[in-house]
Amino acid sequence: MADRIFSLHSWPRAILHIDGDAFFTSCEEAIHPEFRGKPLITGGERGIVACASYAAKKLGVRRGVPLHEAKKICPGLVVLPSDYETYSLFSRRMFQIMRRFTPQVEEYSIDEAFADLTGLRRSFRGSYEAIAEAVREEVRRELGITVTAGVSISKVLAKIASKHRKPDGLTAIPGREIPRYLDGLPAGAVWGIGHATANLLAKLGARTALDFARFPEYRVKKHFSKPGVETWRELRGESVWPVVSEEKSTYASISKTKTFAPSTGDREYLFAQLSRNVESACIKARRYRLAPRKIALFLKRDDFSVSALEARLVRPSSYPLELAGIIRELFEILYRQGQRYRATGGVLLELMEDRNIQYSLFESPLRVEKVERLYAAADRLAEKYGKHTLHLGGSHLIERVGKGKRGEPTARETTRLPGESGRRHLGLPILHLDV
Amino acid sequence: MKPVRTAETVGRALEGFFRENRRMPTYSEMTELLGLRSKSAVHFWVRKLLARGVLRKDGRGFLHPAGRALSLPLAGEVPAGFPSPAEEELRDILSFDEYLVDRPEASFLLRVRGDSMTGEGIKAGDLVIVERGKEPRNGDVIVAEVDGEWTMKYFRKRGAEVTLEAANPAYPPVKPRNELRIAGVVTAVIRKYHR
Repeated sequence: MADRIFSLHSWPRAILHIDGDAFFTSCEEAIHPEFRGKPLITGGERGIVACASYAAKKLGVRRGVPLHEAKKICPGLVVLPSDYETYSLFSRRMFQIMRRFTPQVEEYSIDEAFADLTGLRRSFRGSYEAIAEAVREEVRRELGITVTAGVSISKVLAKIASKHRKPDGLTAIPGREIPRYLDGLPAGAVWGIGHATANLLAKLGARTALDFARFPEYRVKKHFSKPGVETWRELRGESVWPVVSEEKSTYASISKTKTFAPSTGDREYLFAQLSRNVESACIKARRYRLAPRKIALFLKRDDFSVSALEARLVRPSSYPLELAGIIRELFEILYRQGQRYRATGGVLLELMEDRNIQYSLFESPLRVEKVERLYAAADRLAEKYGKHTLHLGGSHLIERVGKGKRGEPTARETTRLPGESGRRHLGLPILHLDV
Repeated sequence: MKPVRTAETVGRALEGFFRENRRMPTYSEMTELLGLRSKSAVHFWVRKLLARGVLRKDGRGFLHPAGRALSLPLAGEVPAGFPSPAEEELRDILSFDEYLVDRPEASFLLRVRGDSMTGEGIKAGDLVIVERGKEPRNGDVIVAEVDGEWTMKYFRKRGAEVTLEAANPAYPPVKPRNELRIAGVVTAVIRKYHR
């Protein structure tokens, strides 16, 4: 049974998964060559390790560890604030390089993407493995960062392949070799199998991905819902999830959070940050013409424990002015005097399209329309003068005390090229070299 | 009050996208970009822009910006004076981005600090565009790490021997002893006088 064949063909489809190696720190090493090979982390502004370079990982610095602990583990650690502007430039270039090979590229996250290579062997005169290697080589040569590639016949398998040998690796899993890679792989390590599913699988006697893949169909259907069944199919080499090259246009929920270092117990400052979280989330919701039925707010304490509350709205709305009262009410319940908090967050839930929203019985449609017009104007002002030009009184404190409290600015933020403003930068990453 | 869409605002939105991505948006991207709710509405605007000559369709039916609509006109090789409208029509348009950056995915900015290339006209404070992964040719200006030091120099190659030469007599030529790591080739220099 061990060499049961899931797929008779080696390459009924060819899906490439590209995964940046320690992406944020790799970008930093590419623009600051003096940091190359040094133990390096980003996330300085948040007080925790957001990304650790391989040199830092080797010394035991893990993602998510508080900064002071990381420094204890590794005294010579280079700590940088996250420079998302530069990381997104690198990210966009990485996807752009992939698009030289195929237009079918799905940007999965800032440092990960899928590409469908099916049928490209002839035009590139080489195996799928060779095409994947060419992508890696072009990214390395032009961006100066390494990425790991996995090629297989479904997305789930491509992800398993790219995890197989990291960093700077390439693994191809043709259909006939699936069992070899699933054997010994813990089921929980498979993309799409979370904690709960892994526990359920363990109860059903499937410890490894291979155990799961070998389940007969009736058994899978009995115990799992649609996503579980699809994962099982993908794992067996049946490509169920296509590579979707279109941008995301709808969201199940939108959340905005803000972490500050150092933490604070300042009541009005926390309230201002929370209001700003909701304002930011609402901007995004309005951009996609969505409005939430529910909103949730949370405060995170120094020890990472969280208090959260949610409220159902009488009518879906993505206008902070209408939500201000609820934000205040929830905040007063959440907030404890004397407690220090490290983060705030606002989440818009149960989003629906903002057209054909029903007015509730007791409100004046005139007033609602006024708010609508107000935010149409606010959004136009934002386009011209920057986000949050017009904001709630409750979040105004942020403008006065500065958005600061974030630790050191990034190297990009401190570099102002002739003609650039604080809000508009040239679209090429800057090499920080003394020549 | 809803934002009013006009052929101008729609054209500008497409132009912005084209500048940034160097390609035309797909219909679904346009839906997003223009805040429209359907592709048929996109089609309506596309037809409008086609009629106005802001966009054109190629033989395969793909959309393109119709030259003049985007960026600055490259006005032939006229020694002086202003380009006449007739000349504008004759040439295709190149944006400064495209003119300065051949390979946008491989290009980086570098602000010059030292004076090693003043003889080449590259001064401290200038901005240079550095292309990564390009094979340097004899005489190119390169940015490289030589035995642990970063410099910007001419790349000179005779046989297998590489010499890095400054454009400033104050710096003697360097022959890499142990290691030469080339960060990239300088492809353009930018200096702004009025900001």
